Amino acid sequence: MTSLYDFLETNSLYIVMLIVLIIWIGIFGYMRSLDKKVKKLENNE
Amino acid sequence: MLLKNSFLVFKKDLSSELRTRYVINSLLMFVLVTISIIKFALGDEKVDNEILTGLLWIAIFFTSVSGLSRTFVKEEEKETSTALKLSTGTDSVIIGKLFFNLILTFALNLLILILFILITEYQIKNLSGFLVVIVLGNLGLVSASTIIAAIISKANSKGTLYPVLSFPILLPLLITVINATKLASLGVETDKLFGEIQILVSYFVVVTVTSLMLFKFIWED
Amino acid sequence: MNKFITYLIFIIISAVIILGLALPIPDIPALGDKARVLYFHVPMSWISVLAFFMSMWYSIRYLKTRDINYDIKSFSSAQLGFLFCILATATGSLWAKFSWGSFWNWDPRQTSIFILLLIYGAYFALRSAIESEDQRAKLSSVYAIIAAVTVPFFVFIMPRIVESLHPDPIINTQGKINMDSSMLTIFISSLVGFTMFYLWMLNLKIRIEKLIYKKLSLIE
Repeated sequence: MTSLYDFLETNSLYIVMLIVLIIWIGIFGYMRSLDKKVKKLENNE
Repeated sequence: MLLKNSFLVFKKDLSSELRTRYVINSLLMFVLVTISIIKFALGDEKVDNEILTGLLWIAIFFTSVSGLSRTFVKEEEKETSTALKLSTGTDSVIIGKLFFNLILTFALNLLILILFILITEYQIKNLSGFLVVIVLGNLGLVSASTIIAAIISKANSKGTLYPVLSFPILLPLLITVINATKLASLGVETDKLFGEIQILVSYFVVVTVTSLMLFKFIWED
Repeated sequence: MNKFITYLIFIIISAVIILGLALPIPDIPALGDKARVLYFHVPMSWISVLAFFMSMWYSIRYLKTRDINYDIKSFSSAQLGFLFCILATATGSLWAKFSWGSFWNWDPRQTSIFILLLIYGAYFALRSAIESEDQRAKLSSVYAIIAAVTVPFFVFIMPRIVESLHPDPIINTQGKINMDSSMLTIFISSLVGFTMFYLWMLNLKIRIEKLIYKKLSLIE
């Protein structure tokens, strides 16, 4: 367990980066799909 | 012409108020209740001016919140707003209402102040500065409350919406005026309060000018 | 919005996240690596103020033209501003915890962001209390303008009177964070990237609201 704790401690910045990056990619993907859906609906009008 | 019409609106409000005494009676009771709650809460405790100033402004703020919204709500409830709209111009309505609220607030604040000083042994070291700050604070309070009252008179949930809408608008004024009142009561010279007084004056001017410009959008249908 | 621009936004913000956390930053006393929250906190608060004033601008346009499209723009901007305001409060609060010792201590800057939250809340409360679309648009526009003229009292005047610990080159020069060139570059690209992202979100939000209004046949 100590080794895992040490690993998390020394690499905390990169772990934060990874999590933020995953969240950002999720938000971006959601926005893109929303954009596509809205475009489709606008064309149907 | 504008001033004459405004004065007529003011006189109409005043005489209808004196006839029913609806607002005045309830506000007088409100003031008495608030002051006595403060008295019971404090007991025989000797309290600093810092806390007393806060309590004073709590009393002033909630009295005006419960009273000032009546001016426009009353017109909507009694369905007299159309008659008022037909009989006089937009600007005279807002100026007349502003004057009425101003007189009402000044009268009530005088009462609150006298009762408050009598009950809590509030020491004011710089009386002239204190009065200047209180008057300027009231001017800002009234001008912001009147336009908010006009907005909520057209909305559905009139009573609950009023404090929600007016609080964020009034907060810059309240923080400044509470600070300035505290300093004046502790005996700080008036010219040292110049920064606060500047803010209070500019707040009053800015809000009044904006409400005069925007009132026509609320009032027309 | 153009596909190219959205990918540009993606690249900028991803680069800010990666480089902002990976590149070394100048030593800042008592904060260290935690100062990196600056790359996210400052754009959030900038956008919440920007969105608020854009909302006011569209409110003025609405009152001038009585075109319901401006009202849609106004409240879309306000909703996004509210979201960013919450994010700014959260990131600022975290920062305050590490730099001042508590999450919330009524610093003038915290008070002003709190007021901004209250104003947004009051604006939505007012909107939900009025049923007729025209009346709602009109009254909330008036309220947004009145709120906007009182906001400068907070943002610019209050911190001058009450002492603030907030690091900000305009308000409080003592608490300034000295940025070196790489940090400054990342900071500015973060501002640009998030502002573009906000504009994209606003564009999308307006289009969705317009579709809803069309569905209810309120606009052509």
